Amino acid sequence: MTDFDLDRLGDVWRQDPDPGETERLRKSAAAVARRARVTQVIDIAAAVGVAAIVILLVLSNPKTDTLLIGAGAIAVLLGSNIRLRKLRQVELRNLTGSTEDMLDQSIARIEATLRYRRFSIAAIGPAFLIGLLVASMSENRRLASIFPALENWPLLRFLWMGLGVAVVAVGTLFALRAMRRNRAELERLRAMREAYRHEGESSGA
Amino acid sequence: MTVALGAAPGATPPFESIVADYGPLISRIASSYEADPSLREDLTQQIFLAVWQALPTWRAESSLKTFIARVAQNRSISFVTKQVRQGPVAELPDRIEADAPNPEEQAMQMSEREALMEATRRLPLPQRQVIILVLEGFTYPEISEMLQIPPNALALRLSRAKAALKAMLERSE
Repeated sequence: MTDFDLDRLGDVWRQDPDPGETERLRKSAAAVARRARVTQVIDIAAAVGVAAIVILLVLSNPKTDTLLIGAGAIAVLLGSNIRLRKLRQVELRNLTGSTEDMLDQSIARIEATLRYRRFSIAAIGPAFLIGLLVASMSENRRLASIFPALENWPLLRFLWMGLGVAVVAVGTLFALRAMRRNRAELERLRAMREAYRHEGESSGA
Repeated sequence: MTVALGAAPGATPPFESIVADYGPLISRIASSYEADPSLREDLTQQIFLAVWQALPTWRAESSLKTFIARVAQNRSISFVTKQVRQGPVAELPDRIEADAPNPEEQAMQMSEREALMEATRRLPLPQRQVIILVLEGFTYPEISEMLQIPPNALALRLSRAKAALKAMLERSE
């Protein structure tokens, strides 16, 4: 390696950054750590706060139904915290494990997200139609009593339905855009995984 | 690297001392994955956050430097996959110190460093990982352990990476 000295290139690569750059890195890292600590405190405080409110509400009105609702709320809170913790553990494993494992995990995650999005888009039309059906069945009895204007002004009812259609359309467009991004990411991940597989096969790893 | 290396065996050093010791390493790894300066800044911050989050899981089975390099590489790779655009973006040269003793020489060195950085960014991912770790001064057993590949496979990968890097550097001259 006389003409291509990796040791010399390593010295060039590891040149000391100028003091300005070092200071900028220090400030940037300090800000990141500060934000992370604040987020951690907020997470814990929010969980404790919500649990305390639910317990206080149950204690102030100790009946079977409030007890059940309170227990349900605590269970949901606990479940979401456990799920969040598991997701963080998976992320940590990905960060500290091998790159191939991380790519495999990421591919599996995006494939699951795409399946979920496909199902959501397929379900949104029927769900909207069912919603319209339920609304039309109940509008004389309940909806009109809640929003009397809807009964008196047909135009307002039309606008109300139009708003519903617009919300569904925008939601579908967002989901389609997210799917396009997911597909592009999946393509890049698969290409990277393939590069590792190819490298491994050709070097006998 | 006095503070972090001076910590008791197995004890996690404070984040601030890790940044002082390994900040430049993190910055170089971010630069070798992202050419766009604003995205690179974003990636550097994401690596700092990842290190901060992963630090409690470090068990001193590997050196702290190895641990940080692994976290930085994995975060960089996941960052790159999320970017919509493909391929590296032309990059502005880094600042040159105004009070440097020999600006011309330093500018040449910077230029060589930029060329090296740019060529590294063009390497296929598996080869790029190996070259970055070699340039960072990791030993072959450390790299082998970090990438979880046998030494002979590492030697082959490194040899291919060196050939590709050399060809790219020659083209850029």
